This record gives sequence, structure tokens and C-alpha cells, in this order.
Amino acid sequence: MIELRKISKWININGRPNFILKDINLHVKEGEFISIMGPSGSGKSTLLNLIGMLDDPSEGEYFFMGNPVHSLREKQRSHLYKQYIGFVFQAYHLIDELTVYENIETPLIYQSIKSSERQAMVADILDKFQIVGKKDLFPTQLSGGQQQLVGIARALIAKPKLLLADEPTGNLNSRQGEEIMELFQQLNNDGVAIIQVTHSEKNAAYGSRIINLLDGRIELTS
Amino acid sequence: MIRNLFKTAWRNIQRAKGLALINVSGLAIGMAGSALIFIWLQNEVSFDLFHANRDKLYQVYGLSSNVDGHPHEISVVSQPLGPYLAQNFPEVEASARIRDINSFLITVGDKRFAHTEGYFVDPDFLHMFSFPLAEGQLKNQLATNNSITITEELAKRLYGNEDPIGRTILIDNRDIFTVTGVLKDLPQNTEFNFEFLLPWSYAVKLGGGYVNDSWLSNNTLTFVQLKPHIDPASFNRKIKNISREQSGRNDIWTHFVFPLRLRHLYNEFENGAPVGGRISTVRVFGIVAIFILLIACINFMNLTTARSEKRAREVGIRKVAGAGRALLILQFIIESFLTALISGAIALVLVRLFLPLYDQLIQTPLQLPYKSFTFWMLAFGFILATSLLAGSYPAFYLSSFRPAGIFKKQFAKVKGTFSPRKILVVLQFTFAIMLIVCTLVIRKQVQFAEDRDNGYNNRNLIHVDFSGDIERNYELIRQELLSTGTAVSVSKNMVPISQDSWHSWALRWHNEIPADTNRTITLFSTDADLIRTAGLHLITGRDINIYQYPGDSNSVLLNETAVKMMGFKEPLGQIITEPYDHKSFQVVGVVSDYVMGLPYERIPPIVTEGPGAWFTTIHIRLNPDRSTSGNLESAERIFAKYNATYPFEYQFVDLEYTRKFESEQRTKTMVGLFAFLAIFISCLGLFGLSAYVAESRTKEIGVRKVLGASVEYNPTAFHRFFKTCRIVTPHRVSLCMVRDEPLVAGFRLPGTGWLDSFFGSRLACCLDCSLHRQHPINKGGYCRSG
Repeated sequence: MIELRKISKWININGRPNFILKDINLHVKEGEFISIMGPSGSGKSTLLNLIGMLDDPSEGEYFFMGNPVHSLREKQRSHLYKQYIGFVFQAYHLIDELTVYENIETPLIYQSIKSSERQAMVADILDKFQIVGKKDLFPTQLSGGQQQLVGIARALIAKPKLLLADEPTGNLNSRQGEEIMELFQQLNNDGVAIIQVTHSEKNAAYGSRIINLLDGRIELTS
Repeated sequence: MIRNLFKTAWRNIQRAKGLALINVSGLAIGMAGSALIFIWLQNEVSFDLFHANRDKLYQVYGLSSNVDGHPHEISVVSQPLGPYLAQNFPEVEASARIRDINSFLITVGDKRFAHTEGYFVDPDFLHMFSFPLAEGQLKNQLATNNSITITEELAKRLYGNEDPIGRTILIDNRDIFTVTGVLKDLPQNTEFNFEFLLPWSYAVKLGGGYVNDSWLSNNTLTFVQLKPHIDPASFNRKIKNISREQSGRNDIWTHFVFPLRLRHLYNEFENGAPVGGRISTVRVFGIVAIFILLIACINFMNLTTARSEKRAREVGIRKVAGAGRALLILQFIIESFLTALISGAIALVLVRLFLPLYDQLIQTPLQLPYKSFTFWMLAFGFILATSLLAGSYPAFYLSSFRPAGIFKKQFAKVKGTFSPRKILVVLQFTFAIMLIVCTLVIRKQVQFAEDRDNGYNNRNLIHVDFSGDIERNYELIRQELLSTGTAVSVSKNMVPISQDSWHSWALRWHNEIPADTNRTITLFSTDADLIRTAGLHLITGRDINIYQYPGDSNSVLLNETAVKMMGFKEPLGQIITEPYDHKSFQVVGVVSDYVMGLPYERIPPIVTEGPGAWFTTIHIRLNPDRSTSGNLESAERIFAKYNATYPFEYQFVDLEYTRKFESEQRTKTMVGLFAFLAIFISCLGLFGLSAYVAESRTKEIGVRKVLGASVEYNPTAFHRFFKTCRIVTPHRVSLCMVRDEPLVAGFRLPGTGWLDSFFGSRLACCLDCSLHRQHPINKGGYCRSG
């Protein structure tokens, strides 16, 4: 599903390249659950950005479901991730001005799905996540765990094949965190590939594979 | 999706209430200000466009080469010209002459009105111009010698609510006229001004001063209606030399026609071609209107982009969720459209509220056409244009954020010392200061003209224009005014001294050079005591006085400019001739220069003739030892005695003189007002901006405080931004010095340049200083939360 070949990313500081990622080779199969670990500044988020096609590598090749992402144009790329990738963030990143319902609905609007169909899809996922009663509340009226639940619901609404999560439990207490991780497990069982960045060994253990990053390199894969 | 966009936009506006308040109020004030100007401009450009024949109507002008050797347009032409054009040129559909009358006494029963504006017109007048009838039939108007057409307003004054058709009016105690028609009141966007129309044939019947068959006397406004598809340029070539051919003289004026629809805006000519006039005022205020709107829009841009950090997150999320840039741009534009819509509604209310005051200021009764569909379309268009103007920059700027940073805790801030925001703020204040400088320049120039020595003493001086029997009984009136001690001195004259007088190009003198034959000289006249009555300064010789010197019928007084022009070393006793009327005058005195026409212009040569000339008014210097009201009462008694049928009407010369500055005073007030608006809106924006910057820096301030910074030290970082603005702004002021000139077209005075530039930059500094004091951060209010 994902094939990274010799991916590097650097920024120039005082005219000298400063590597954030160096020579990353990574192969992810459909339905895999991967945890990325590593200390602060090791390049986890950048790697996630690259996989999510939000940023370009400085060097290397990236194939996503057979498409050479590195040579695609902006529009085609955004079309790809719109269709196949869902994002979950540590800070939830819900839009404050929108209700729970509207937040979840947003990606569907951008994919030009008809109103009646949208209603059915959102109702379905609200039901699945058991947050029907919260649908008219605004994000600030929810607890952190509930917000993250909405964030995941939003990520899943367009039925992506890959879920990218950046410390999804980072802002949550342990009980809430556990619930989220169990949800991920369940999603993975349903066939969604997940790549998560995490600091917690316990959460990382939910994954089928753990990648350790250090100073922009893959240190260890287990 | 659109519904969703509107909903989001509305919630975004609601979310930042303070910001929205500043945005909406700034935009509303700006829109209201510029709308007021646009309404006035619309009125100005619509002058005389309501005539159905507007594209075919032309005024006939004369083009004389007799002023300073330069061609000069004459708006009145000779009386035979109009009918001649209609009869001999197939291009002419119809022609109408207009001679205005305001000295007729109008009597209906016991109601009497003097000084009502009316015209003698040719029968085609109402066919050519679209002044619709409220009552009566078009074919009956101006048809017979004794038919009169009046306006609704005059009808109401004369007859109340009764039907005026068929009623009679006594004109000037002489002839009885029958009302054949009532015209709807004239719209105020026309150059014509009359309350009644009399047939030209009546003027012919009266003869005397109203009719003059000479091709050499220019005294009548003449309009022609050309047939469709006639090229005025080729028509002009055909009519150019008519007066020369008909009079058999090769040295007089030529002719041209000028479109009626341009007459209001292009009222200044040079070499017979329109060079501007009111159009320059229209343009300047058009620019002012756009500036004010722009300033308000800049507020919106700055305040919206000031929230960029917050909005960047939203943009990131939306992009990740699959939003294209076009959609995001649309979202921001809709947001600005909503703001503009609310502002527009408030602006409409403001305009409605301030329109009466504004009408007073510009002396034009303007109205909002609520029932007109076009008006609402234009209003909507205005709002749409404003929202695009204000919203486009934020839309493109904010939607350009890349979502790459979304996994990080906080988006990167927009950095760089040279941000568009600074340029925009500088631009705002440049506009505002420009307007202030304009106000100052106009103020100085009006002040200069007001303070200028006008050469005569206009205090305690009144003039009474001839009406009824005044001219016939002048000697008796004069004697009684003097003997009762009402006046210390009385003089009858050609025109009131506060007005421009007649011009002549026919005077000749000894030793003149060839160029002098083309000089125009201003004519004035007196029977006696002009110098004493008007308070002129006698330089040499004596005043004209027919009662003391019976030969003074042919004496003249010169002013200094006339002496200089004629090159007299010894002016007294010089002979000036007027060959066409076979007259010759002897110079008996020289007075110093005095202002007759506009106080901004150079003083022309003035030749004051003795009683051989004609008269229209009496100047009376009231007795300074008695109360003015007592003087006026006794004057009224005397005039009532000798001119019983007419009410006593007089004018104070000093008031009339002050009135010459009205238009400039108005311009000054208007520019001042809009300068204030511009400054106010800019300050509002800057206030909002600094408040927001302060708010978004709470963290920085908090950190600084934890590290031990004092409140006084804290703001330095802010000042960097506002300092740039302060440094740049005054430099821009010098730029605007060039720009303000069209406003003061017509009069330019020396030595205003550097002073005002100085003023402008001082002002900019003062303003900035006061703004710095305004920063909320200086009060420490926002530091606590850090």
C-alpha cells in the first residue's frame, strides 16, 4: 500500500542542510497497524506529514497504492488523500465554529456528496460511536475524550483505507486513552490500515509493528 | 454547501464579537460616508439628463477673442441669432431663446410677489425641454401674447388649492395674463431656474430693454435642438461666422454650439473648448469617496488577517479534510460579504439619518429613491464591491496557508518585518493626512480671499434694485434719503458693487497699442457720490457729480488697473471714446482698485461712466450715527411713498460679499468632514489592530513578566510595528501636496506649499503619539492573563 524509498527531508540552516529524515525506507501493507516511536525531534511528525502528502520530501520516492506520489501534481495528490486517508490529531483540531454533526460532515461536503447521503453517513457513524446525543454540541462543550472521538469519526466518515494519527491519546487521561486505542484495534480488525505516532509503549503495543525513529533514521523495526 | 458556508461565516463573525464590532462600524461609517458623496455625485452628473431630447439639445455660444488676446466664450448671444438658425439651417429642428426676468411684480388679488424668477421664452421651449405639465395642454402654452405658464409651487402660492387654469395674473401692474398651464415643479438637477414662463412676443410688445435686434449686442441665452444624427462639429463649422456675415463686421465673435447635457459639469472653457469646471470637483470628490471606502476596507483586511494564526488552523483542518483553495476563498469572501451586508444596512440607516444635515451642508436637497429598483441594485452592487475589495486580500492570504504544520502543536507565525499590513496602515494614514492637508490649503486660501482688502467699505452699505417707479422717482428718493438723515450718501449705479458688471470691448483711447483693441473693460456707472457711498479711495482728481458738474454726463472714473493698462502718465483730462455709439468721455478721477467680481481673481480695469450710462440699482450708505433698524424703517417709508405698489427690498452689501465664499466654505467643510471620517476610521482600525496584537502576544508578555520585565518595558516589541508606520507616513505627505491642487483650481496663492507639508507631518506625528498612548497594552490590562 505504501512504499517509501530512500526518503530524505532536510531544511537549510545557515546554508547547510539539516536532516530531519534521512534515507527512510518503509513498506506498509494494507490492513497493517504501525506504531512510530521515538524521542522529540526524531522526525515522527514529519514522516507522518510526508505519508499524509501534506509535505514534500526533499529526496526519494513515495508510492501510494501504486501511484508515484513524488511525481504527482498537487491536485492529484489531494484527490488521493481525500479518498484514502483520514487524519487524527493530538489536539483534535475540531473547528470551533461547527457543531459535532457539522465537523463530521465537513469532509463529505468537500467530496461533493449529496445532502441526503451525507445525512445517512453521519447518522450512521454517530450511532456507531454512540455520540448521537452530542451531535448539536460545539467542540468546546465536550470533554477531551469526546472531542477525540469526534475527531476520529470525522477521519473515518469518508471510509479511508489509511488512518494517520499523531499521538491520538496525548491529551487524554489513561482511561479515555485506552478506549481510543481499543477503538483503533477494532477499526484495524475491520480492515483500516493505521499508522500512529506515540510516546507510550503500552499504546504502541496495539500495533502489529513498531518503528523506532532516532535522529531522522529508522533505528529499529520490531 | 452554500448554506453551510454562510453558516460557518456567520458563526465566525459571531465568535469574534469585538473584532466584528470594529469591522462593521468601520465599514458602515466608511460606506455611509462614501455613499453620501456618491449620492451627491450622482446628482451632479445627472444634471439636465432628464430631457427626452438630451442628446439633441445644444446651447449656442459666442467665441470672442477680445479678452487678453485669448479666445473667450460668451454664454449669451444676440437675439436675431436663434430664429435665424432655425429658419436657415435644415439641421436645426427648433430653437428657443431665454431671457430671464426677476423684476416683475406679480399680483393676484391682494397677493403681491416681487423678484419671482421667470423667463421670456420662444414658443418651442416646452417642446424642446422636458418640463412636463401637471395641468393644461402643451399646444396652448405660450401661444398668445397674454398667456402665462407657471409652476405648481407658484400656483400654490398664488391660488392655494384652487384650480389655477384660466385664472388671471397682473404682471408688473401693467398687463393681465391668463394661466394656461401648470408645470410640475422643476427637478433640482437642472440648470434652469424659473417659476413662470412668458411668451417672447410679450417681450417684443414691451420693447425697451428687453428686445434688441442688433447682431452686436449679446444678451440672450439661446438653445437649439438639432435633428437626429447631426454632427455638431460640422454644424459648428457652418454657423461659425454668422454674426460676422450678418453684421458685416470681421472683428467680432464667432459661434459654436455645446451640448446641454455637458453644460453643468464643463462650465469652464479655454479657447472655446471645455476644459473642466465642476467636473474637477466631481472627480476630486469621487476620489475622496473611493479613498474613504478604501480606508474602511483596509481596516477589514488588517483585522481579518490579524486573526491569521487562529484562522490558519481552521484552514489547515479544512484542507486536510479535502477542501480546495477555491472553496476556502469563497468561504472568506462570503464572510466579508456578510460583514459588508450588515455594514451596508447600518450605512443605509446612517445615510438616511444624516441626509437632511448633509443636504444643508451642500445646499442641495437630495433624496434616497427607495422605490427605485435600480437604487437597490446599485446599493447591492456597492455592498458586493465592498466585500470583494475588503475580502479578497484576506481570502487569498488566509487560504494560502499550507496544512503541513498541522501535526505540530502550533502553526508557525507569519514572520517578516515587511508585511503588507504595514503598507496598508501607512496607506490609510496617507489618505487621511492628504485630506487634512487639503482642508488646510482650502482654509488658508479662503482666509486669504476673505482677508483681502476689497478696496471699498461694505459696512452699513445697502443697495435697492430698481423696480416699479424707483427709477422715475430717483431724484426725489435721493433727496429725501439725504434730507431725513437716513443716508449720508446715495449713488445710483449700473449693478450692485458686489456683483460682476457688464463688459465692453469697444472703448478706445489715445496712444493705444494694437493689442489693446482686444482688451475687455469692466463698465460701471454712477450719477454722483460713488466714492463717498462705496467708500472707495480717491487717488487723484474728483468724483463724478452730475448735480455739481452738469457736464459730468460724459465724465469717467478709472481704477488704477485701467490707468496702467491704458498707459496714462497723466490720466486726468484724457479722452476715451466709444466709436460705435459715437460717445466720448473725459477722465475726471482715478480710484484705487476694488473687487467687483470674484474675490479670487485679478482685479480688472474698471471704467465708471457718468449718468450717460444706464442704471439698475441704488447704493445707500446708511447714517452711521443712527441705528440701522431706524435707518431701514425710514428708508422703507420713503420708498413706500415713491414706489407704493412694490414691497421695499434691499440687500446688505457686506452679506452679499460674504456669500461669495459660500461655495468654498462648503467645500472646506465637506473635505474637513471627510478628513475627520477618514482619520476616525483609520484610528478605529489601528485600535483594533493593536488590541488584537496585544491579545495575541499575551504569551510573550507573560513570559517576559515571569522573567521580570516591567509593564513599561513590555510594549517595546509592539512599538516596532507602529514605529515603521510613523516613520513612513510623514514622508508620504509630501506626495499628497501635489494631489490637492485640483481642489483649489481657480485660485492659487503663493507660499502655501512648505507650510502645509510641515503641518501635515506634525499632525502625523501628533496622531501617532496619541495612538501610542491608546495601546491597551500600556495600561497593562492584558498582561495579567499572561
